[in-house]
Amino acid sequence: MSMKEKDVVQEPPCTSESLSNYLWKDKPDEDKWADCVHCGMCLEACPTYELTGQEQHSPRGRVHLIKSVADGKLEVNEQFMDPVFACLDCKACTTACPADVDVGGLIEEARGQIRQAMPLTGWRGAVSKFFLHRLFPHPGRLQSAGNLLKLYQKSGIQTAVRKTGLLKMMPEHLATMETVMLEVKQSVRKKYHKEEVVKAKGETKNEVAFLTGCVMDVMFSDINDSTVNVLTRNGNDVAIPKKQTCCGALHVHAGDRDMGRKLAKQNIEAFEDADTVVANAAGCGCMLTEYPELFREEEIEWRERAEKFADKVVDVSKYLHDSGYEKPKAEINTKLTYHDACHLAHGQGVRQEPRDILLDIPGVEMVQMPNADRCCGSAGIYNITNPEMADGVLESKMENVPEEVEMISMGNPGCMLQMAMGVEKYGRNEKVVHTIQLLDWAYQKEDKQRGQT
Amino acid sequence: MLRKKGLKTHDKHIKKLAAIVGPKEILFHKEELISYESDGFTIHSHMPKAVVFPTNTEEVAEVVKYCSDNDLPFLARGAGTGLSGGAIPLNGEVIISLVKMKRLLSVDLENRRAVVEPGYVNLKLTNSISDKGYYYAPDPSSQYCCTIGGNVAENAGGAHCLKYGVTTNHILGLEVVTPTGKIMEIGHDGIPDAPGYDLLGILTGSEGTLGIVTKITVRILKNPEEKQTVLAYFDDVADGSQAVSDIVSAGIVPAALEMMDKIAIEGVESAAFPVGHPKDIEALLLIEVDGISAGINEQINEILDVCKKRNVRSVKVAQDDEERAKWWANRKTGFGAMGTISPDYLVQDGVIPRSTLPEVLKRIGEISKESGLRIANIFHAGDGNLHPLILFDSRIPGQTDKALEAGSACLQACADAGGSITGEHGVGIEKREEMRFVFSDKEIEAQTDIREVFNPHYLLNAGKLFPSPGRCAEVKKELKAAE
Ligand SMILES: Cc1cc2nc3c(=O)[nH]c(=O)nc-3n(C[C@H](O)[C@H](O)[C@H](O)COP(=O)(O)OP(=O)(O)OC[C@H]3O[C@@H](n4cnc5c(N)ncnc54)[C@H](O)[C@@H]3O)c2cc1C
Ligand code: SF4
Ligand code: SF4
Repeated sequence: MSMKEKDVVQEPPCTSESLSNYLWKDKPDEDKWADCVHCGMCLEACPTYELTGQEQHSPRGRVHLIKSVADGKLEVNEQFMDPVFACLDCKACTTACPADVDVGGLIEEARGQIRQAMPLTGWRGAVSKFFLHRLFPHPGRLQSAGNLLKLYQKSGIQTAVRKTGLLKMMPEHLATMETVMLEVKQSVRKKYHKEEVVKAKGETKNEVAFLTGCVMDVMFSDINDSTVNVLTRNGNDVAIPKKQTCCGALHVHAGDRDMGRKLAKQNIEAFEDADTVVANAAGCGCMLTEYPELFREEEIEWRERAEKFADKVVDVSKYLHDSGYEKPKAEINTKLTYHDACHLAHGQGVRQEPRDILLDIPGVEMVQMPNADRCCGSAGIYNITNPEMADGVLESKMENVPEEVEMISMGNPGCMLQMAMGVEKYGRNEKVVHTIQLLDWAYQKEDKQRGQT
Repeated sequence: MLRKKGLKTHDKHIKKLAAIVGPKEILFHKEELISYESDGFTIHSHMPKAVVFPTNTEEVAEVVKYCSDNDLPFLARGAGTGLSGGAIPLNGEVIISLVKMKRLLSVDLENRRAVVEPGYVNLKLTNSISDKGYYYAPDPSSQYCCTIGGNVAENAGGAHCLKYGVTTNHILGLEVVTPTGKIMEIGHDGIPDAPGYDLLGILTGSEGTLGIVTKITVRILKNPEEKQTVLAYFDDVADGSQAVSDIVSAGIVPAALEMMDKIAIEGVESAAFPVGHPKDIEALLLIEVDGISAGINEQINEILDVCKKRNVRSVKVAQDDEERAKWWANRKTGFGAMGTISPDYLVQDGVIPRSTLPEVLKRIGEISKESGLRIANIFHAGDGNLHPLILFDSRIPGQTDKALEAGSACLQACADAGGSITGEHGVGIEKREEMRFVFSDKEIEAQTDIREVFNPHYLLNAGKLFPSPGRCAEVKKELKAAE
C-alpha cells in the first residue's frame, strides 16, 4: 500500500496487560498462527513473493509479522501495514499449505486492527468512505451511478474522451480501465423487481435463492441475466430476495470489519428462508462462506446463524454440476482457455465443475492455461490500491494465456475486468467471458435454431 | 508493495551496500527484517543487520568484499527452508539472499546437464525439462520451494536418493564467491576425477561456511521408461521395518522406500493432502521401483511377496499417475502437516544401519515416553535416514527444552546404533553439539582447519556446523532465551 504519512493518523493506544500490541477489538486469532510451522511450502504459491522475492511479502512472512505484533516485538504501524495490505487475498497459500493455515483470515483480522489504529484520512478516507459506505451497500444508488455511466457511454462523452487524448492524461491503470469499461444495461434486480420468484421454465425441480451482487448487478447485468436464464431453464425457481445487499468482501478486505458484519447480518436475514444460496461471482460467494469468521470475537450470538448460512452457499457452476443440467445442443465453435478465479479455486475448491460445463458445450475446444490458478491481480480493488504490484501480477498472468485461443472463460467479474485490461494492455484480442454466459449463449442458439426448423 | 520511500538511514554500511545492489534491493527496517530472523528451524532466532538481494555474481562478490573489508558478519540464504538453522543470522549478519538470481541459464540435453543460478527452485528444473523426457533427480520434500543453491549447501537428499544418490552425486561444477570476495570456478565441465583436491566435494554440504555458490552445473537424467508404486499397511512397526530390510536384501534397489508411523499418519490425514490411510495401522511403506520396463513387474511381485510374508494388512499398487501423485503429495507435505496436530515440531535427522531400524524405533518410542512428548516418524527407510518429529508447544514453559533434549537423545540412539547425526538436513546450529557424538576433538579440528583456509576472518556464517569450546556457554544461554 502506498500510503503517504500525512494520510495516516495515529490514535492513542489503549492500555492492555499482555505483551500484545493488538489493542483493538476483534483481534487476530492466535490459533491460526499457532498452526504455522514456518516450513516455507507456501512461498512459491504466492504471487507477491514471486515478484519481490522478499519474505515479508510471502505468506510465511506475513504470518510471522502478524504473530510478532501479538508477541509485542512489533507495533501496528505503517511498516507493518505495507506487507499486510500488499497481500492479494488470493488464497493460493491456503491451497499450498500442508498445515491448513488460514493465512487469508489472519490478514483480514490484521487489517481490521490497522484500520482501527490508523483510520484513513484525507482524500483516501473520503474516497474509501464514499465507495464502501455510501455506494456499494445501496443498490438504488449503485443503479443511479450505473445510469450515470450509461449516460456517459451513450452521450458521446465516452467517445470524446477516447478521441481527445484525455485518456493519455489519466494515470495508466485508470486509462486502461476506462477502455474496458462495460456497457451498462438493466440490472436483474430491477428487471425482476415485481416478482418474488422467477419461475422455472417447465417443471420445478428445485428452489434456489440468488445473490445478485452489488456492482455485479449493475456493471455485469448480462451475466446475472444469463444466470437466471440458465437456472430457470434447468428447473429451478429462482428467488431474488429484496433485502439482500453487498456481500461485504471489499469492506472486509479493506479492514472495515464493522461494516462487514453489518452487511453480513443483513444478508443472513435476507436469505433466512432459502435452502440454497447461489452466487455467480466467486469473490462474493467466497465471502458469504466466510461470514462465521466475522463473528468469532464480536457479536458471537450471530456465529451459529452465520455458520448455517455459510453452509447453504454454493457457486453457480458447482450447483449446476451437482444438481444436473441439460447439455446444450447447438454448437459454439470456439477455442478457449479457462482461468481459475482465486476465490473459486483456492477459496471454494471449485476447479473441475466449470471446466466440465464448458466441455459439455458442443464445439468448444479447451486449451490448457499453464498456472491457471495463479492470481490475475484483480483481487477486489487491489488494482486501484496497489497498481504497481497488480501490474506485475497481471503481466505474468497474460504470459500464460495461450496464443491460439479466442476466449478466456472464468467465474468472477473482478477477474473479468482485470483480464480485459490485460487483453487491452498487451495488445491481445481474446474475448473475456463468464462460464455461465457461454452456457446461456449455447442455449439461446439452440432455441433460435429450433425456432427456425 | 515495494518500498517507495527513499533510503532513510544514517548507517554508512547500509548506504554502501545499497549503492552496490540498488536502493530497492536492500531491507533494513525492523518490520522487514523480522521475517528473516529464522528459517525452517524456529527454536532459535536472531535479527539480521540487513538483507540484500544481488542479481548477479559480481554484485555478490562486491557485497562479500565490502563485508569482509569492514568486519561485517554475513551469510547466504536461499528459500529459508533449512531445518537446522543454517540461515539464521546468529551474529546479526548481513543476509545475502540469492532468490533474485533464479534463472535457468542453459540446458544441454546431449551432455545431460543444465546450468542454473543458485536461487532457482529445485522442482522448476524438472518441470522445465520434463516435456523433453528429462528430470533432476535429487528431490527433497521441500522441492516445491527450496533453492538448488541451498541444496548444494546442505547436500540435500530426498525420497528418490536411495537409488540415485544425494545432491553431491549430481553436481558437475560450481561458481563460488569466496569469503573474501573472489570469484572462483570449480569442477571442469563435469570431467570425472579431475586431478587435484576434490573441491566440489568439499563445497557441497559445507552448509554455507566456505563460500557463496553463484552458479551451478547439474547432471540431469532421462526419465525412467517405467515406474510402479506400492503402498503397504502394517499392524506392527517391526514387521514394516523387517520388510524394508528384506526388500533390499532381495537385491532390489527401489527408487524410493519410505515409511510413516501411526502419529505421522494421523498428521498427514488431517492435513491438506489426505489419501484415506486407515488411522489404526501402525506403519505404512511407500515403495517405488523404476527403470526399463522389462523386469519391473517381477520386482513388484517380489515386493508384494515380502510384504505378505511380513504380515502386511493390505497392500496395493498405484493404478495411474494420478494415484501415485496423490500418495507422494501426502508424503512430501508430511512435515508441514504436523502443524495440524501440534503447534510446533522439531525434526531430527539421524542415519542408522538399516538392520537396526526396529531397535532404534523402539528406543525412540521410549524417549517419547520419558519426555512426555509425542514423536512421529516419517523417513527414508531405504537408506536408514530417520526423521523423528518431536511434537511440542513452545508456549508451554519448559517444553522447548524438553523437545531439544528428546531430539538429542534420538541422535544419541542413532550414533549408538553405529549411525550418524545427520542424513540430509545438516548440522547448522541445531546439531553442532551433537557433532561430538560422532567426531573426536581432533577430527573436528581437522575440519575447522579447512574452514580457516577458505574463511580466514570467520565472518561467513559463523557459529554453525561445529561446536567450539568457547561457544558452549553461549549455546546454553540461547537455550534459556528460547524458553
Ligand atoms: C517441509 C520440509 C521438508 C524438507 N525435506 C527435506 C528432504 O527431504 N531432504 C533434505 O535434504 N532436506 C529437506 N528439507 C530441508 C531443506 O529444504 C533443505 O536443506 C534445502 O536444501 C534448503 O534449501 P534453501 O534454499 O531453503 O536453503 P536455506 O534454508 O536458505 O539455507 C540453508 C543453508 O544453505 C546456505 N546457503 C543457501 N544458499 C546458498 C548458496 N547459494 N551458497 C552457499 N550457501 C548457501 C545457507 O547459508 C544455510 O546455511 C526440508 C525442509 C522442509 C521445511
Ligand atoms: S503458512 Fe503453511 S506452508 Fe506457509 S510456512 Fe506456515 S505452515 Fe508452512
Ligand atoms: S493470499 Fe495470495 S498474496 Fe496473500 S499471502 Fe497468500 S498467496 Fe500471497
